[in-house]
Amino acid sequence: MTDVRPILEVRHASRSYFENGKEFRVLEDISFDVRERDFICVVGPSGCGKSTLLREIVGLDRPTSGEILFEGRPVRAENPRISMVFQSFALFPWLTVLENVELGLEAHKVPEEERRSKAKNYIDAVGLAGFENAYPRELSGGMKQRVGIARALVMDPVLLCMDEPFSALDALTAQNLRDEILQLWTNPEIPPSAVLMVTHSIDEAVYLADRIIAMSPRPGRIVKIEVVDLPRPRNRKEPEFYGWVDEIYSLIV
Amino acid sequence: MPNSPHTDEPSKPLADMHPISKVSVGQILGLVEAIDEVGGSADVATISQEVEMDIDRLGPIIDAAELLGFVKVEEGDLTITDLSRKVLHANIRERKKIIREIIDDVPIFRQVTDMARKAGRPLSREEVLGAITGQVGTHQAEDFFNALVYWGRYVELVHYDSESEQLSLRAPST
Repeated sequence: MTDVRPILEVRHASRSYFENGKEFRVLEDISFDVRERDFICVVGPSGCGKSTLLREIVGLDRPTSGEILFEGRPVRAENPRISMVFQSFALFPWLTVLENVELGLEAHKVPEEERRSKAKNYIDAVGLAGFENAYPRELSGGMKQRVGIARALVMDPVLLCMDEPFSALDALTAQNLRDEILQLWTNPEIPPSAVLMVTHSIDEAVYLADRIIAMSPRPGRIVKIEVVDLPRPRNRKEPEFYGWVDEIYSLIV
Repeated sequence: MPNSPHTDEPSKPLADMHPISKVSVGQILGLVEAIDEVGGSADVATISQEVEMDIDRLGPIIDAAELLGFVKVEEGDLTITDLSRKVLHANIRERKKIIREIIDDVPIFRQVTDMARKAGRPLSREEVLGAITGQVGTHQAEDFFNALVYWGRYVELVHYDSESEQLSLRAPST
């Protein structure tokens, strides 16, 4: 047993929207922890509030009730120790790859030389060395998302949050990027300490995660938290893999 | 006569960049991973279903993977090669190195990098287009140029500034 405090603690978090005096519940009583070396996927049908949950964790939204603690304190926006990777890449088209990756460091007043060398280091780590001075329009979708990942990692985050990071990519590009993300994850020199990823693909969750949080349709509740103990590298054609996909599927639908 | 002991090696080197001008490295590696996952060999229809891509989109990726030496195509069956297995076990940087060796041997790629080396200065886009138009025709020269830049950047042998439209050589970081 360990007494180490979790990186992230979500405690009875609920979220409602109010319109014309009517309450619309989006999330209901969500509780879970994220600990060191966790790779967690949150899966659920579309509209179950999983992206809202992620927004609350990164401090872009607040729960109506309950609390979310990061390293023991309530989460706040613009915490450099939590990074986010977006489905839509969210790159600045007028900035080069290097400038996009450097931007977060610049905002935190990191000296130019240091931020340049850090940015180059992560650009190389995600396989983009050679594209430093390219603009987003010159990149394929998979490469754009690599920029998004480098930009998140350059902040040395403790927690990396990813919102459907592969869903805008074709299946082959996504498969390749998933594998290379796992390579980075197993490299101890590369942050983060934990990953929390939202996906609608059960297959993807079983392929990547150590733990899967399965959510119900709206209002999103946690149906079950499963520990996926399949050995790595995982093969989606193995019967055990199918077994897990079936299991998670039956929880959600 | 083939001088390679590997029967898996492509029968002829990649003659030009046309087959790889419309696809990305990620797609080619993704295809290799997908075939590996079903046991290293599968027919095109199975892979098409697996990766939810129709033949129109998958075709150019298969062609590119074949010409780079990653996949053998025989009567509609796709089989990964020894080179593919090497790539599958390689990390991100090693993958680049493997692909660098292949790209560096493509005659038209070599021609442009030689030209830049001899010139000892950056080449303008117009100059490069002028040099390759004779071989590939005006209508394909643009595609070739884009492929040169994309693959050249990926293998870290080419530096291109799209603002000034100047192409130069660079040394790989690893």
